[in-house]
Amino acid sequence: MDYILSSLIFIPLLTVLLILLLPKQMEGAIKSVSLVATILQMVLSCWLFFNFNPTASATTDQGYQFVEKLNWISLNLQSLGHLQIQYFLGVDGISLSMVLLTGLMGVIGVVSSWTIKKNVKAYFALYLLLVASVMGCFLALDLFLFYLFFEFMLLPMYFLIGIWGGPRREYAAIKFFIYTLIGSLLILIVMIGLYTSVIDPAATAVNAGLATNASGATPAIVNQVQSALVSGTLASDKLVHTFSIPDMYQAKNFIPGSILHAFSNIQLWGYPVRLLAFLLLFIGFAIKLPVVPVHTWLPDAHVEAPTPISVLLASLLLKVGGYGLFRIVFPVFPEGAAYYAHLIGGIGVLSIIYGAMCALAMSDLKKLIAYSSVSHMGFVLIGLASLTVEGANGSMYQMFSHGLISGMLFIITGVIYDRSGSRMIQHFRGLAFTMPAFTVLVVIAFFASLGLPGFSGFIAELLVLLGTFASATVSGMLPRWMAIVATSGLLLGAAYYLWALQRMFFGKIWVHPEVQETPNMPDLTRREYLMLVPLAVLTLVFGLFPSLLLDKISPAINQLVQFILVAGK
Amino acid sequence: MNIPAQSLINSLTDIQSGFAYLWPEIILTFFFLLLVGLDLFKATAVKIMLPFVALAGIVASIMVQVNDLNNIASISIKHFFVGLLISDGLAIYAGLLFSVAGIFTIVLSLLNQNLKVKFSGRGEYYAYLLVLLTGLNLMAKSVNLLMLFVAIELVSIASYLLTAVIKKQRNAMESGLKYILYGTLASGVMLYGMSFLYGFGGSLNFTDTLFWQNLSRLSSPIFIAVFLLTFAGFLFKVAAAPFHFWTPDVYEGAPVPVVAFFSTAPKIAGFVVIIRFLIQIRNHLATILQDDLILLIGGAALITLVIGNFTALWQRKARRLLAYSSVAHAGFVLAALAALADNSISAILFYLTVLLFMNFGIFLIVQIFEDKLEVADLNGLSGLGKTYPFLGILAIIFLISLTGLPPTAGFTGKLLLFTNIWQNYAATGNSFLLVLLLSGLLLTGVAFFYYIRIPYFLFFKRNLSEGKKVMLLKENIILALLAFPVLFIFFQPSWLTNVIEQVVLYSK
Repeated sequence: MDYILSSLIFIPLLTVLLILLLPKQMEGAIKSVSLVATILQMVLSCWLFFNFNPTASATTDQGYQFVEKLNWISLNLQSLGHLQIQYFLGVDGISLSMVLLTGLMGVIGVVSSWTIKKNVKAYFALYLLLVASVMGCFLALDLFLFYLFFEFMLLPMYFLIGIWGGPRREYAAIKFFIYTLIGSLLILIVMIGLYTSVIDPAATAVNAGLATNASGATPAIVNQVQSALVSGTLASDKLVHTFSIPDMYQAKNFIPGSILHAFSNIQLWGYPVRLLAFLLLFIGFAIKLPVVPVHTWLPDAHVEAPTPISVLLASLLLKVGGYGLFRIVFPVFPEGAAYYAHLIGGIGVLSIIYGAMCALAMSDLKKLIAYSSVSHMGFVLIGLASLTVEGANGSMYQMFSHGLISGMLFIITGVIYDRSGSRMIQHFRGLAFTMPAFTVLVVIAFFASLGLPGFSGFIAELLVLLGTFASATVSGMLPRWMAIVATSGLLLGAAYYLWALQRMFFGKIWVHPEVQETPNMPDLTRREYLMLVPLAVLTLVFGLFPSLLLDKISPAINQLVQFILVAGK
Repeated sequence: MNIPAQSLINSLTDIQSGFAYLWPEIILTFFFLLLVGLDLFKATAVKIMLPFVALAGIVASIMVQVNDLNNIASISIKHFFVGLLISDGLAIYAGLLFSVAGIFTIVLSLLNQNLKVKFSGRGEYYAYLLVLLTGLNLMAKSVNLLMLFVAIELVSIASYLLTAVIKKQRNAMESGLKYILYGTLASGVMLYGMSFLYGFGGSLNFTDTLFWQNLSRLSSPIFIAVFLLTFAGFLFKVAAAPFHFWTPDVYEGAPVPVVAFFSTAPKIAGFVVIIRFLIQIRNHLATILQDDLILLIGGAALITLVIGNFTALWQRKARRLLAYSSVAHAGFVLAALAALADNSISAILFYLTVLLFMNFGIFLIVQIFEDKLEVADLNGLSGLGKTYPFLGILAIIFLISLTGLPPTAGFTGKLLLFTNIWQNYAATGNSFLLVLLLSGLLLTGVAFFYYIRIPYFLFFKRNLSEGKKVMLLKENIILALLAFPVLFIFFQPSWLTNVIEQVVLYSK
């Protein structure tokens, strides 16, 4: 199991090649191959989850487990030193739950794609490409590698929405792409700034002749290199610039005098450069998350995307944005996290309320769920911004839980749409009559999403709100009113879900005559059970036994919060 | 004593020894004469042979250039022909790129139906190409103002002729005429500037220290005026604003292989000349002029980037779109030149090398569209991606690379360029460079918007008329060969950077 992380990425990638070799007509084989590949990926990610040792994190290599590190690109830039890009994978408590989520939702997505009829071969090739790059994003610990996967998600997504989507698919696809691309360009700027400023002390030791190879660089040698860097005795052509994210966490690895150095007081148009860099990175990932002023691509993309792609978009792609905040933005620029806590918390609260208000006004069920995603992602933001142990854990828990629940919700809209060709709430009444089992699952999904105790969403939102309340006294980041306003978001959530439930499922069975002349809404098929029941069970399990996940992730997240609080002051 | 005689003998031996560094040009000229001679025969067997004769000439010159590149350490930096020309890493590497571009052009021409059907004087066409290559090689080697002017004119005249080579096509003549008018104007302005340089500097050799010492006595507004006049000609060659107006028309009227060539080789030559000038200015006048230079070159870069990227948004024809994209690419390179450091040269050479493969790839695709599938408008591409999936996927690869997204070499190229701008910003603290960096990056987003329209039409739009399917075997093989480096260099950039490091090390 030395290469388990690589296999998580490369199993779907190699399956893409296999699919490309299969003839177009063998649709059944293509589907089966994709299913087998994603199941394999799921089994591996579950194995990874259960074999991850949360307490060992402090002792192993910088806290990461199952690490794979290979030199990939090494360029000699002469007087500017060396440029080093590594194939660097690893998991810790921050990425673990996301890897598990990707494994689970990958399979659900394939099952949900079973009814795709148009150009099956290309669809599954792109689908697996998307899953592989999302997985790559969560596993990469080298910023260049991360960025590669981050950008590589866009293209399959663009085609999946643009070819297999609804009537306005072209508009939605291009809007999705432009928004995300602008975000990733902002990330690219900071990425360039970071790697010109950061060195890899181990590789620099090798280059300067202090160690024979990178693994032979003991902590003593690394310290020696770092102090030589501070005193300026290292020749600039000996420095090894790196994209390694863990190296960027340590202020000691920044070259003195470089623009992004922690103590540099370089100002740009009146602002310290590091704070500007924090903002750029934050906006980059916030577009992906998305948060309110830059969320407008999400409803369009969701409404136009086919059901399985909506599922992946909501449960995985949005999480990449949140994960980026956890992995890169906050720990690399901790002082930014502290400085802008109010702003970020404010945007989070705005997203919660505005998203919920919009959801309340929607008549398209899919749009309603899309806006509820915006609202729920606001909790991720305030939880993290509170910089409390509860808040950050809750924020991570919310990402995981929302991944499961939103997957369910989009499958639910798919179920209705497949039967009737409409998703309008006012087109349906009394669906509970002909679809009792479906209604039970809808109730579970809606209640899980609005945060009823017993479901995973409750644990997540409770932790986030606890953290936000405590923040004023514990970390001093967010004022109490934010917690109070955010709590009212829960009420709005209850309002739009219950209202939709009441309108669509209760009363006498009726479907708008323009949609169906006589109501013909049969209950779930076996395939639909196969998707909805496991997800419902998982939300219940993680709602009743939160320690299943929290035990694995909280040591790393607590460490992260402490680190940011110490370094950010 | 007979001192004049002695100096004459010295000059003659210098000239004689200089021939050793002139082999590529000698070979190209020889084959040019051969082609002109062979073109006199009317036998079809001879006519068919002509492109291959030209190909042989270019391959022979490549062999010399590769050999030079391998022995670059022993050749080092060498002035020859009484200081008119220089043979250094930059010149040799640029020469190699020209030759590769020449080979690609011939391959594209052989695949081009239009050239076959409408055009009789094939010998001329390939002969012009060889003259053009000779001129480009000389341009990259010139260190003397007069020599430089002659080389640029040689390139220009050959370019005018190649543009209008299909005489039966109406817009070919129009674009040829426009090209000549703009070109002569730019040359005139450049010559005017050069005359000032000669007058104030007292020498034609712009690598001469004395030349720059004399110029440094000028007050900076005058120097900047002179500098602007001279650069008009260079900016014209690289298709940078405000001298880019010829680009869309010429790109629309000329045969596709010629356009592909124009979008790469003369651009590379122009940038080599600009690099040579800027290195000298930096070495001799940096203290006085640094901020002004950043503002001037950076300003040109910014205008070029904005005009190129935004105008491309409105284009409906593939060729015009690529013309503005080519303007935009010139802007990116100029942005890196704005604060020239040693490292920028390797980043620029890397970028230009990648540009060579991307542009020939995308223009071959345009040629397939026009020739085989008979569409020139973007609208006409609707649904073709489904009929020709391989072509569509390769188009995506080239366009992604032109945009500068991973996993293609275009991304690595842009990353290196932007890194350079960042580092120069860190070194100089000139916040205009940061403006350049930010606008360059954000305009990449704009660029994506127009590049993606090609795959958008290919894959998203329905094909209304069911056309017949044509075989594209040869074209697909060539396309795959061109796409391979675009992907390979992303995963193994050191393969290319190692060569370029050597080249830059032995450049003046």
